[in-house]
Amino acid sequence: MSQPPDRSRDRSADRPGSSGQAEARWAPIAAHPVTSAVIAVLIIASIFFSLYVPIYSRITPKIGDFPFFYFYLLVYMPAVSVALLIVIALQKRLRPPAGAGPAGAGPDVSEVTE
Amino acid sequence: MSHVNAVTFTIVVVLFLVVTGVGFAAARWRRAEDMLHLNEWGLGGRGFGGFVTWFLLGGDLYTAYTFIAVPALVFGSGAIGFYAVSYTIMVFPIVIIFLPRLWSVSRVHNYITPADFIRGRYGSRGLALSAAFTGILALMPYIALQLVGIQAVLTVMGVGTSSGSTFVKDLPLFIAFVVLAVFTYVSGLRAPALIAFVKDTLVYLMVIVAVFYIPTRLGGWGHIFGVAQTHFASINPATKKPYGTFIPTSKAIGSTRLDFATLALGSALALFIYPHSITGTLASKRRSVIKRNMAFLPLYSVLLALIALFGYMAIADKTTVANIKKAGGNSQLAVPYLFQHMFPSWFTGIAFSGIIIGALVPAAIMSIAAANLFTRNIFREFFKPDASPALETRVSRWASLVVKLGALYFAVELPHTFAINLQLLGGVWILQVFPMLVAGLFSRWFDRWALLTGWLAGMVFGTVAAYNSASPTASHWASSSDIELGHTVYIGFTAVLINVIIAVILTVILRAAKVPQGADETLPSQYTADPADAPVPANAGVSFGTASGRVP
Repeated sequence: MSQPPDRSRDRSADRPGSSGQAEARWAPIAAHPVTSAVIAVLIIASIFFSLYVPIYSRITPKIGDFPFFYFYLLVYMPAVSVALLIVIALQKRLRPPAGAGPAGAGPDVSEVTE
Repeated sequence: MSHVNAVTFTIVVVLFLVVTGVGFAAARWRRAEDMLHLNEWGLGGRGFGGFVTWFLLGGDLYTAYTFIAVPALVFGSGAIGFYAVSYTIMVFPIVIIFLPRLWSVSRVHNYITPADFIRGRYGSRGLALSAAFTGILALMPYIALQLVGIQAVLTVMGVGTSSGSTFVKDLPLFIAFVVLAVFTYVSGLRAPALIAFVKDTLVYLMVIVAVFYIPTRLGGWGHIFGVAQTHFASINPATKKPYGTFIPTSKAIGSTRLDFATLALGSALALFIYPHSITGTLASKRRSVIKRNMAFLPLYSVLLALIALFGYMAIADKTTVANIKKAGGNSQLAVPYLFQHMFPSWFTGIAFSGIIIGALVPAAIMSIAAANLFTRNIFREFFKPDASPALETRVSRWASLVVKLGALYFAVELPHTFAINLQLLGGVWILQVFPMLVAGLFSRWFDRWALLTGWLAGMVFGTVAAYNSASPTASHWASSSDIELGHTVYIGFTAVLINVIIAVILTVILRAAKVPQGADETLPSQYTADPADAPVPANAGVSFGTASGRVP
């Protein structure tokens, strides 16, 4: 172990195998059930709509000269990009605004300036 | 095509020299006070921001082999080749679930390789060794294929092919290899990170021009798709089956939808288990950098989809088809021949440079990743537990040379179809690390011995199944899919299922038998941690006085 973990915050959450572990992990989800559900739906949908091939393995309708199969794959990628950006934005809401991570308290400057 | 086009050749040489210069100059880029630490040589100081990480991971994941092999597969078999597009889409929503956790815990504990994490999480040297061994094994043919990609371009350029001597024939490849080896040795991960900028500029230029220009010469997209559709419906006299499929079908002939889906899912799960992807990930400076990259990297996949379509362009171009037939039906040459026939020679030079440089970037990162695995999880773990970071760095540097030599041997000595199939096997192999790595990021439920047994079962099944897969043209190693319960399924997918089932059953048994668990050095909060500062070296020695400047 290279860096002493920050023990100043909730100790029960840091003890492996304790009930505090499960509580700490699920706490943000319990606090924001709708946001969490939206995140889950976005991620599952992004995977499902490329995994379930019958949806798009069709030649018609053609979009321009592109058979549907090829057009779908091309358009799907920017769509996933947008979905994941929304996921990231929503995940920020799950976290208490400051001092949540062991990195330390207060807003993180490098996070903003990046 | 045995004569060398002077303009093309000159442009390739000049751009290669530019990249060589950049590779060496990279040693000075973001230079740390103490370069003799694996965090510096092997992870570029763990300080890359979103922009650099995007280029680094892009250069890492979308390799020259992708530019050559994906269109080659599309050229040869049709729609099944687009599994690569589907997989590079679904990989990011999958990976965003677990990769930030791996970044966090690795940052806190100064883990450099995925096997470091497995060692720390399960307290098992054996399990870490299995992960390191698999990683190195899977990376070797992958690096070799980058060199095969370079060879494909050199063949079409006519460089060396006119000579009967093997040595002269492979001389350009040796030169590219030596340059790659030396700048990786000197600059570490900084070299591929910086070269990735050059690579991407060239590749984007090449793809955008090709996508807009080539269809105008081939009668438009409608004609290109039309020719491809007709071609894949016609019957191949050798196999008495259609040449391929134009879209994945549910019929038993050609590529089925299930094959397409499992190949895509299996590859997506495997991509970020590959040690070189994890190296690129751990080199970034913040957790948010990883997350944002998962959202922006799909834009690269658009490029890949367009590159895959080059396969259809090649089918629609009669000269390219004739050239490939003349070259013994080697479909790997589809893209180089297409470019050579379609583009003016100066632009062919730019496009070929893009492919060659596109091979150097991932080959460098892969050899660094394999070297780190060897140093951290084999050398330090089993031979020299008290190795100083400076010694680790020296060992890693030399190991990266050895790994590349092995890859060169693969590329020169073995038949290319063999190397390609080994790479498919590499995917099957690396996937067997998935359960221990990803499950470990969320839970300590699995028993270490159960995971090790599952891994072994998956490795053996995958290797045997791949060996036994036959086609009308090859008796072994013919395909990465085989038939399970009446469906064509990706072997890696079946193997990892077997792996997980065995691990679950054995874990239940071993838990019931109260077999002792290894020590877990990680804490739950560390999986979501976001430390702004690079970790302090674990075994701080005399050489680490300088590192204190980075510690808060």
